[in-house]
Amino acid sequence: MSKLRNVAVVAYSQAPFVPCDVHHTSTEMLYPEIRKALAACGVEREAIDYQVAGSADYVDGRVFGFVAAVDVMGSWPPKQDLHLEMDAGFAAHYAWMRMQAGDCDTAMVCGYGKPGEGETNRVLNLQLDPYYQGAMGLDLASTAALQASAYMKRSGSTDRNLAEVAARNRAAGAKNPDALLKDVATADELMRTSWQVEPLRRGYLAPTGETAVCLLLAAEGKAEKMCRKPVWIQGVDQRAELQSLGARDLARSEGAALASAKALEMAGVKGAAEVDLLELSALTPAEEMILLDALGLPPLGNRGPVVNPSGGPLAGSAIMMNGLVRLGEVFRQLSGTAANSVKDARRAIAHAAQGHCLQQNLFWVLGSERRWS
Amino acid sequence: MSEPPEEPIRYIDSTVYLPYDYVAGDLKAIYLRALKDKRILGSKCSKTGKVFVTPIPASPESFAPCNELVEVADTGVMTTFCVVNIPVIGRDLELPYVASSVALDGADISIFALIRNVKPEEARMGMRVRAVWKPDGERTGSHEDILYFEPTGEPDVPVERFLHRL
Amino acid sequence: MKRAVAVVGVGQTHHSSRRADKSMPGLIREAVDRALTDAGLQYEDIDAVVFGKAPDQLEGVMQPEQFLVGAVGAHLKPVVRVHTAGSVGASTALTAVTHVKSGLFNRVLAIAWEKQSEGNAMWALSPNMPFIAPLVAGAGGYFTPYIRAYIARTHAPGHIGPMIAANARDNAGRNEYAHLREPMTVEDVINSPMLWDPIRYLETCPSSDGAIALVLSNEELAKKGPRKPAWVLSGATFVEPMWVPGRDQVDPAAGRKCAKTVYEAAGVTDPWNQVDAVEMYVPFSWFEAMWLENLGFCEIGEGWKIVDRGEQKFGAHLPVNPSGGVLCTNPIGASGMLRVGEAALQVMGRAGAHQVDGAKLAVGHAYGGGAQYFSMWVVSSALN
Repeated sequence: MSKLRNVAVVAYSQAPFVPCDVHHTSTEMLYPEIRKALAACGVEREAIDYQVAGSADYVDGRVFGFVAAVDVMGSWPPKQDLHLEMDAGFAAHYAWMRMQAGDCDTAMVCGYGKPGEGETNRVLNLQLDPYYQGAMGLDLASTAALQASAYMKRSGSTDRNLAEVAARNRAAGAKNPDALLKDVATADELMRTSWQVEPLRRGYLAPTGETAVCLLLAAEGKAEKMCRKPVWIQGVDQRAELQSLGARDLARSEGAALASAKALEMAGVKGAAEVDLLELSALTPAEEMILLDALGLPPLGNRGPVVNPSGGPLAGSAIMMNGLVRLGEVFRQLSGTAANSVKDARRAIAHAAQGHCLQQNLFWVLGSERRWS
Repeated sequence: MSEPPEEPIRYIDSTVYLPYDYVAGDLKAIYLRALKDKRILGSKCSKTGKVFVTPIPASPESFAPCNELVEVADTGVMTTFCVVNIPVIGRDLELPYVASSVALDGADISIFALIRNVKPEEARMGMRVRAVWKPDGERTGSHEDILYFEPTGEPDVPVERFLHRL
Repeated sequence: MKRAVAVVGVGQTHHSSRRADKSMPGLIREAVDRALTDAGLQYEDIDAVVFGKAPDQLEGVMQPEQFLVGAVGAHLKPVVRVHTAGSVGASTALTAVTHVKSGLFNRVLAIAWEKQSEGNAMWALSPNMPFIAPLVAGAGGYFTPYIRAYIARTHAPGHIGPMIAANARDNAGRNEYAHLREPMTVEDVINSPMLWDPIRYLETCPSSDGAIALVLSNEELAKKGPRKPAWVLSGATFVEPMWVPGRDQVDPAAGRKCAKTVYEAAGVTDPWNQVDAVEMYVPFSWFEAMWLENLGFCEIGEGWKIVDRGEQKFGAHLPVNPSGGVLCTNPIGASGMLRVGEAALQVMGRAGAHQVDGAKLAVGHAYGGGAQYFSMWVVSSALN
């Protein structure tokens, strides 16, 4: 593995996570978080070389929805910029890539959008090909249920297993002031919720809410001046798979296995068991179990590295920015500012995903130490 | 099992129906409610004092927050415009119509507005215009409270004054 | 020392108002197959895929690259989707360049496309948002007032726009892939219906279906051939906010800054004399005059005179849009990549009938949003 530039996460700020913010537009939610992230680093806007964001027009319910954010990102005089129609976690990956190309030393990554204005479940039907899968009217819950069913059959996991995974996430979320759902739910309580699409109960589906996030990245040399405990990116990789639900083994995530293996290889880490915690963008307990399985970890997430100390999307899902939230939560954990702190954490995995049934997966390995000397 | 169709299927009709409930936000709501009182509000940059209509939370120029709302006039200048001759689905504006960038007195950015009571061929850059409001009792606190802008009849503003501030 | 990146293959579809003969995957496949064939490569040779297109509402799908993964051989590869409004095709190409420049990928496929016949483009481009009066009628309704302002600033004669439009068609006649290719005279344009005064029907870009794909490669592999590559000397994407007081949408700051940045990095000090061909994003005729100024090819106020003297025609001093440009072909998501891709074809010597003789240095440019996004690159037949 050839030597790469050491890049760190140096700040993360997230707007209060609510079901629907009726007082603010998406850019009004974003602006304060940008100011807070810059203030946390003690820098002015001019210190940031590059800005990149992730969002989706259909979540915004308007064409060119991302253009409005330009006006609150400090884009004057004109700035070098990019917008991806992807989860904002992928935007962070691109910013990191630009640093490797030597094209910037600092970057601001933003995620925004108000899924509360629309019906996320219906909107995401449009991600499916319009000729067949989309035309069948499959929504997010249905495709997730197909995957959950396949996984349960292969692994022998039960309804109770799913409930326990969900309950564990909810318990963690209850300790996280930035989670959407702050009340604990036991496995028994979750098992009493009605079926949304069997085998997924209402209690197993990630609740959608609204927030806005800003994360700052900086290369070695600058990171140390911006943050007392920069969290260094040691490895990263992302992979997409075929969308067609019948064309892949839904009971596994080949893409997650490959992306995580490549990220760990880049980081010089033998396996996922070597990290202290993971933040996974899983929208159902089955997704989380499939991801853990792909990582070679116990699927129930109750042994080995701590899984989703933030509560993960099951305690609040911010569509189109879950990946960036996970990266931010890892930053908090490793820089010692998390509410629900994992003791002595020095290395972690953060994950972003896109598309139905974990079609696309991105993994970071991050740590308190620089990877390359 | 029946025979496949002789003619291959070439098209699928797929109507997308997605409901959205947009949030105006408090700032926009205050602006809209003020329209009911025939007041046009703008937000003022805390650093430069420049005024933005419709109000925005922060100045895109200075990056500073806008912390104050101020009233601007309902009169202004047509800085530049076009005459629209093309219909759009879902709109019933009579064609042709004049759509203009209007610099309201007291505001530092322009709004886009419909101009009426002027023949399209007589519309000019620099024309002084004023808002024509819905009558008292009919305004509801919506952008439709301003029906359109019309020429005031005052002398035109010399083009040089705004040609670089459209 | 920054890594060198080159375009080693270009492929595009035959653009038309409705490609009823292909589905979305089929349309993209047409461009990708041609690009890979051009580059002498197989799907396995590609390390990552970067997609770009404009609002998904144009086709009534969401993030369609997700169902296109199989069509472009991207299974288990990194996939990215860019969306920067009208400039997206160019910023997508630049995103692919960054992938290669990072040293992490050797060959990257960049794809930009739009199949807007499948939706209603006029509706998609005429936002009907609550709380705002619905006045803007299509992109033309937004941009034409600034054309009026350009004419007022420069006192340019009214025939300039029609001259640009007629010349674009003349250029498209030499480009087998262009959508609108029938020649028309300046009089034809002047006699066509006025859509948004001062822009007439025949001075307006069409609505097209089309796709283009580029293969970007690192230096070592680019030098292996089979084609003479187009070296990407520089590239940048800049944005500016909408509501900056006094923002100049006739001579946008972001456009000017983008041009300055890419020229400096490429060692271009005298664009008018050093550049052999430029593909710039001209959706409505007059923008050709405006962008000649904004891109630093001439002083402010002189752009229309270049047109009046015919110095931007094919075979003249600085051919502008030898492909016919956006005025003759406009699949919105693809148009930006068509510009940068055509610039690459010029310096690769592969522009066929619209090849500018001996072109060694070319510029590709695209813009989008309310004249906010500007994306450009400078390509050369030589690495230094």
